Amino acid sequence: MNTKTVVIDNGTGYTKMGYAGNNDPQFIIPTVIATRDGPGGTQTSGAGGQSKQASSNIASKRGIEDMDFYIGDEAMANSLTYGVNYPVRHGQVENWDHMEKFHQACIYQYLRCEPEDHYFLLTEPPLNAPENREYTAEIFFESFGIKGLYIGVQAVLALAASWTSKREQTLTGTVIDSGDGVTHVIPVAEGYVIGSSIKHIPIAGRDITYFVQQLLRERENSIPPEESMEVAKRIKEMYSYVCPRIDKEFAKYDAEPLKWFKKCEFLHSVTKKPYTVDVGFERFLGPEIFFNPEIASSDFLTPLPEVVDQVIQSCPIDTRRGLYKNIVLSGGSTMFKDFNRRLERDIQKLTSARLEMSALSAHTSLGQNVTQKEIEVNVVQHKRQRYAVWFGGSLLADTAEFYSYCHTKAQYEEYGPSIARYNKVFGSVL
Amino acid sequence: MILLEERNRILEETFRERFNRTDEPEKLFLTIHDFDGVSYSVETKDSKSVLFFSMSMKCYPELRAYGADHVLYREYGSLFQQTPEPGFEVTLRIDETQLGGVDKEALIKKLALLKRNALAAPFEAAFQAQSEGQQTNIMTVNYREREAIYIMGFPDRVTVIFSTQFKEETDQIFGKVFLQEFVDARRQPAIQNAPQVLYSPREPPLELRGLRLSDAENVGYVTFVLFPRHFTPGPIREETISRIQLFRDYLHYHIKASKAYMHSRMRARVESFLKVLNRAKPEKPDDQKEKKTFG
Amino acid sequence: MSNTLRPYLTAVRATLTAAMCLENFSSQVVERHNKPEIEAQTTKESLLTPVVISRNENEKVLIEPSINSLRISIKIKQADDLERVLAHMFTRFLMMRAENFVILRRKAIQGYDISFLITNFHTEAMFKHKLVDFIIQFMEEVDKEISEMKLSINARARIVAESYLSQFS
Repeated sequence: MNTKTVVIDNGTGYTKMGYAGNNDPQFIIPTVIATRDGPGGTQTSGAGGQSKQASSNIASKRGIEDMDFYIGDEAMANSLTYGVNYPVRHGQVENWDHMEKFHQACIYQYLRCEPEDHYFLLTEPPLNAPENREYTAEIFFESFGIKGLYIGVQAVLALAASWTSKREQTLTGTVIDSGDGVTHVIPVAEGYVIGSSIKHIPIAGRDITYFVQQLLRERENSIPPEESMEVAKRIKEMYSYVCPRIDKEFAKYDAEPLKWFKKCEFLHSVTKKPYTVDVGFERFLGPEIFFNPEIASSDFLTPLPEVVDQVIQSCPIDTRRGLYKNIVLSGGSTMFKDFNRRLERDIQKLTSARLEMSALSAHTSLGQNVTQKEIEVNVVQHKRQRYAVWFGGSLLADTAEFYSYCHTKAQYEEYGPSIARYNKVFGSVL
Repeated sequence: MILLEERNRILEETFRERFNRTDEPEKLFLTIHDFDGVSYSVETKDSKSVLFFSMSMKCYPELRAYGADHVLYREYGSLFQQTPEPGFEVTLRIDETQLGGVDKEALIKKLALLKRNALAAPFEAAFQAQSEGQQTNIMTVNYREREAIYIMGFPDRVTVIFSTQFKEETDQIFGKVFLQEFVDARRQPAIQNAPQVLYSPREPPLELRGLRLSDAENVGYVTFVLFPRHFTPGPIREETISRIQLFRDYLHYHIKASKAYMHSRMRARVESFLKVLNRAKPEKPDDQKEKKTFG
Repeated sequence: MSNTLRPYLTAVRATLTAAMCLENFSSQVVERHNKPEIEAQTTKESLLTPVVISRNENEKVLIEPSINSLRISIKIKQADDLERVLAHMFTRFLMMRAENFVILRRKAIQGYDISFLITNFHTEAMFKHKLVDFIIQFMEEVDKEISEMKLSINARARIVAESYLSQFS
């Protein structure tokens, strides 16, 4: 089989797509589609040919208006003349028409492959309704006529991405997936997601950017207000890190300001005038909201290590050690320096405290001296974290067994879309 | 987007990013596909600043017979390697340190057109023959597993025949409707000067009778008759070569887009049916709503 | 041709209204079971005479009543290959969403394009005359939709051909 599988990961914010066997996705574009009719509105006939391209003038003729759309960055660039739509919300597809068009453009415009010649690997969020898999299969097999389809759960693919040759390749672990909108903590045992134990934390990239923006606004006045969000985002991505203790960090900054405060130069996007910004406490306070949410807002107060601990404790008891041993990070908002060390340390503290408590109570109530095996906590950080789900898909789709796990076109014709409801887990017995 | 682009976006963006970087080059290993089963590999080997850009194209030996090597040498000069990498048919070797005086944007665009340039050879040969008043043999390019392009130059015209085969009955029937429109399109005054298109379902056209080709149920033959005004040397000829190569992909793209459009119509219909059906359900008045008591 | 449409639909409507008199009927074969008799076909006395109403050989409706359930199968007009393919696509699309439709059957009866199954539970929960309205409206809309789809394919084909060929001029 020498045609590579196409791997597409549709997230709420960004879609990552490319061919299997590569380390990075070929395209990372926002999951957005700009159509001639406004968001959710009915089609207006005879849209005025105001856009400059000849093809869209033809498109405004009756009969082919639906081909007049853009996806990804081009959609955002055309957002003034077109209506911008976000077909994926909270990981789930909300508008199938837009999704079908989006995929059509991905395949023919960006990836340039003939779908009839390829297998496809798509991703889905955990707890996705089986009907959604059927609708996806319907689109891909009926409209695009692909050779075969596999729909993988994002958390399981993120686990696959963390496999290296040094460690044992396992599909048991806790996935902390933090993107732009929301952070999920998802326990996976033997490749199956333990759905009832999943927890969502409303703190993610956007909130960190917002918090950094607030801090900057209080201190710096050289930033033009319309640029402050962009500036905050750049600072977050370039200078942020996770510190072991806030109070010590503040002391460090006060003692040696020149070493820790950084100057950063920015260009105004419209006037192109340069201006400098001092970057200081925001560097470590930004990511700190994962560990101390109360510094940013009072809506959500549970720190991330506690949530992870609660999630694992709510899982079946025989899975817990495996879940602690393999905590995998995925998504752009987990890429802060030393994020894994801090998380590991904090979770270890919680588990040790609990073990001590139970040893103490066993001693006092039963008079026994119980020696307990320490719980090994491992937070895995690896180079492909940002697009871990895509990378996991690329790895799996490049194996020889992949083709036997896919649903083929012949199966679809024979049994119908309901075959897509169940996707075989790699390495499982069934 | 109605027309397909002729360049490969991934290649263009990869090369643009590599050539314009100011810091140290990194290792690269990229394998991607293009239409018609063509695959590319861009990788660094021993040196991080030398890229080996290879293309695998099954029909290349046929193209070589029509002069493809010469065309590629003409376009890419010293980048073109006489012996391709194992497993590939064409390799270009790009030394990033030697790109000093070169127009990088132009090179990037040219590299993204590698497939197009390789496939251009038989077309150029046919056009050349026509301008000299000669007739060529049938040039066959089996660019896909069961589909081929046949190019012939005549003293007064050049004919390009595509054999199409649809795997699905739906595609075949849609395809017939589309191809019939291609034939009829010239009636429109605006495109009277376009090439003449002929469509023959099942039966191979006269020119190809000698080749004993398939006339199965799902096979069709589309003939484009190009007149000298369609390939005057210069930009017009280059455009025509690029456009005509993408015909089959263009056709299939629109067939699939139409199916997607049908889906969205059907979804809207289902919505309206469900609305009507919901009218059949009576509103439950409050006092009849179920209230359970436990006693 | 279209002057046969009104009498055709009136005949279907009248037959449906008559056939949709359904009452609860427990299975006489298996204790404590309650199945649509027209599907189970276990008790022959509970099945009533099926009726076929044809507009012509290409369009007809088969109504199979029984004491507690009613099956309506429709053969859609398909004049040529393109209409046949479109009808097939459309009915497959609908049948995949049969659960949302409640009264739609997941597979059509042999010889027909789409089938509905209405049980006494449906008639107890929904207005009978509205159900009949729905079926009639469905029949009209399906025909309309298929001809619209056909027109739109032709329009698209024309524009696709025009866009491609105008590149050469």
